[in-house]
Amino acid sequence: MSERADAADAIDTEATVLRSGTIRVRSEDDILRARQEAREIAEEIEFSTTDVTRIVTGVSELTRNMHLYAEDGIMEWREIEAGRDSGLELVFDDNGPGIDDIEGVLRAEHSTSGGMGRGIQGTKKLMDAFEIVSTPDDGTTITVRKWR
Amino acid sequence: MTATDSAAVTEVFDVLIATFPGRPTDQAVDELRQDVLDRMETADPRGVVLDISAVTTLDSFFARVISETASMVELMGGAAIVVGMRPSVAITAAELGFGLESVETARSTDHALSMLGISVEATDDDTSDPDDGVIDRSSPTSSPGGRQ
Repeated sequence: MSERADAADAIDTEATVLRSGTIRVRSEDDILRARQEAREIAEEIEFSTTDVTRIVTGVSELTRNMHLYAEDGIMEWREIEAGRDSGLELVFDDNGPGIDDIEGVLRAEHSTSGGMGRGIQGTKKLMDAFEIVSTPDDGTTITVRKWR
Repeated sequence: MTATDSAAVTEVFDVLIATFPGRPTDQAVDELRQDVLDRMETADPRGVVLDISAVTTLDSFFARVISETASMVELMGGAAIVVGMRPSVAITAAELGFGLESVETARSTDHALSMLGISVEATDDDTSDPDDGVIDRSSPTSSPGGRQ
């Protein structure tokens, strides 16, 4: 049942989680809160200004999708480390209706409410790794990583 | 914090200046669009400057509202110019795939005003900071909620 987007930039590197936190997203204010928290963490990890902007913009796209399509979801952030690399992993998890055609969404062929496809596809471009798992039963989980 | 959450539309010479707050909710962005269009009708200006210099995160929703606002202003017979996009925001917007292609842009409010055909007499020394230049943007910070 589960559709999984492959392969090239999937989340396949083992990483150690240094610290983490979660934010529940069920209102527009929560979207702002998630953005703000992601910004603070990304700045603490000392990403460049442009990378901070990429990360926060991605958070904005994905939390908005979550709120729009599933109403309620959780963003978890994790400061991660793999060898000498450090970075940020973000997981967006909801129990919404799921996405029927992930490949289509990633090609941005779908734009149901004027933007999900572009938001997801665009976010993928802003990140170093991107993975999406979605089923009608379990909703959608999107995991992204950005390395410093 | 309230002052930075809401947008401000002020009138300078024959032009409306809409200053977008740094971290607006979707609702605040929508309200600003409505406010700009209402003021287009009542003030009948020759154009609108959309100042996004405080904006650190321009996601697809925000970008779409800005393009739509610009085209609505044009439909109403005015010119619309977006000013002040930060470099990191421009990079991210280009990567995300929305470059605000159809929107006219300028580097600063001064440039936008001269594009709109307004010439401003320079005082003796205006070489330095554009924020400190000859044009008083009737800064909303000095009188939050002063004129509505």
